[in-house]
Amino acid sequence: MSESSSKTTLEAGEIARFLSYLAILAASVVLFVSAGTIPSSRFETLGAGAFPRFVYGAICLVAVIAIADGLRKISRNSWAHFGAETFAWAKRSRLVFVCLAAFAVYIVALPILGFSIASFIFVLSLQIILMPRRPVSILVAIVVALTFSFGLNWLFAEVFTVFLPRGVM
Amino acid sequence: MADFLSALSQIFTLSTLIYMLAGSVAGIVAAAIPGFTVTMAIVLTLPLTFSMEPLQGIAVMLSVYVGGYTGGLISAALLGIPGTPSSVATTFDAFPMARNGEPGRALSLGVWASFFGTIISTIVLIVAAPPLAIFAVKLGPWEYFSLIVFALTIVASLVGDSVIRGLLAGLIGLALSTVGTDPIMGRPRFDFGIEMLQSGLPFLVVLIGIFAISQLVSEVEDVKSVRSGNSLVTGAIDFQTWKVMREVLMSPVNLLRSSMIGVLIGALPGAGGSIANLLAYDQAKRASKTPDEFGKGIPDGIVASESGNSATAGGGLIPMIGLGIPGSAVDAILMASLMVHGISVGPRLVMDHGDLVYGMFIAMAVASLMMLLVSVLSMRLFLRVAEVPKWLIVPAVMTCCVVGSFALNNRVTDLYLLGFIGVAGYMLRALKYSLAPLVLGVILGPIAETNLRRALMTDDDPTLFLSRPISLIFLIAAVFSIAWAVRGHLKSRKTKKNTDATAP
Repeated sequence: MSESSSKTTLEAGEIARFLSYLAILAASVVLFVSAGTIPSSRFETLGAGAFPRFVYGAICLVAVIAIADGLRKISRNSWAHFGAETFAWAKRSRLVFVCLAAFAVYIVALPILGFSIASFIFVLSLQIILMPRRPVSILVAIVVALTFSFGLNWLFAEVFTVFLPRGVM
Repeated sequence: MADFLSALSQIFTLSTLIYMLAGSVAGIVAAAIPGFTVTMAIVLTLPLTFSMEPLQGIAVMLSVYVGGYTGGLISAALLGIPGTPSSVATTFDAFPMARNGEPGRALSLGVWASFFGTIISTIVLIVAAPPLAIFAVKLGPWEYFSLIVFALTIVASLVGDSVIRGLLAGLIGLALSTVGTDPIMGRPRFDFGIEMLQSGLPFLVVLIGIFAISQLVSEVEDVKSVRSGNSLVTGAIDFQTWKVMREVLMSPVNLLRSSMIGVLIGALPGAGGSIANLLAYDQAKRASKTPDEFGKGIPDGIVASESGNSATAGGGLIPMIGLGIPGSAVDAILMASLMVHGISVGPRLVMDHGDLVYGMFIAMAVASLMMLLVSVLSMRLFLRVAEVPKWLIVPAVMTCCVVGSFALNNRVTDLYLLGFIGVAGYMLRALKYSLAPLVLGVILGPIAETNLRRALMTDDDPTLFLSRPISLIFLIAAVFSIAWAVRGHLKSRKTKKNTDATAP
């Protein structure tokens, strides 16, 4: 990576962090106000909303400092490259998004299909997506998927008497 | 003496030793699974001990306890995922060391540090149980709040590259701890009408989501590395047993300091291993001549964290044996197991059941030896995990995370929370936020709030925080701690500037 492209990537990172500070500040302001509406008891000096207000107030303060610091670090030109850099990062990290999407589908399907079947499909399909394309890998993947689905379910049910979701099917 | 000999004869029977060995293995294996805590392992062991003699039962549970504190180290070192909350600080240096090609040394350092930590805590337990128990019970909410303020200053040394982002992460952790009913009056807070949030965010699900899921998905960022079948950790699978033992013993100050922190934190009701490892790590970093090396795979970091968390096992027994007050959830289960056998735990325990108390001391020592034996013999097997390619281990460990999160409360909704926290954790990681302060905030938040409000309910005079001597000592320590951390940051910034200026 050349020096200029590395600098552009760094600045894109700074912009992303700057946006995260803005999001944190916005959420904290809303929750700070919301904490003020929590009713307090006359039996205590500090009500249920006092501690959260203190925490969200502190978050607002630190987020404002972070925003000021971020503005100082980001040059005007870097905003122009932000979209392209974000797209390039998303492309580089595509497997992360695939993993997270597969995980989301897995936890949604778990109560329907039951632990064993959902886990088998999840482990096997994610392994197939991630694995190097070799026939022997498929065999290993099937064994591992069986172990971490039906095997794990058996272990927890029979040994620990912890029953994992059975599904509705 | 008669009690001691009676205890000795009860522990050193073949059946007790075999049960203890099995308990040690079970503790290590259970704690190595992310989300499966030492407490859960002990809860599962409890029904199995009902048919045993009281001392035999408690000896088995102590083996699970001691083994469990060590087991968390395995996933912390090899996967960068703390197996239990008490091994969060272990990930800071054990994982980088494993990544640098020394997974065997990282595990060995942790095992030896755990062993010595347990032995030191057992010695303290024998010598100081009554006076320490009396001290611990004298602490009121003012002292507890000040202690937590002091513990929160640890954030200063866990912030990573950016102080601002570290502080934000710590505060986000505190904010997460305020979700659900408030700890004093039970008023609903920030649940937005969602049933799952009404009882608060389960700490373990947050921990697994933040550390495990985000770490696992970040492993697949490099497409080429994953598809070429690379393993998580590459390097020498050499446990270096005796060499590392000497290495651990060569830093006696760190070992003793961390173990004493573990004992003291363990002796305080409500605290425990999850705080002790971070506090011990923080103190080791502050006292080190090379604080900048912490977080990059320095042995002192692993020794501090592992000896600190293992020493809480002995520390937790101090108030239990001395006063009948459980220092942690695990101690409460140990107490319950004795009560099942009709033994009342309290100040008279030493007088009425001396053999049992001596037996617990002996069992702690034997359990730590067994843990060492099991670890040394089985670590080669565990180290094979390091050779497993990423494409195999990532989906499999994700499934274990799901099991760990579900088994906690038997709630499917916890899994949705796990997914959400996992995504948030990955985003924070990608944006270079330090995740350790966040976890610290989640752990300390409820304790801080409860004690602050309780103190002011007892007496609304806030000057009591300053006028009560022990509370004042903790607050002064907190001020010193912040000043020390600021000095360290300024120093490292200056060094970095000088290095940049002299660089060609």
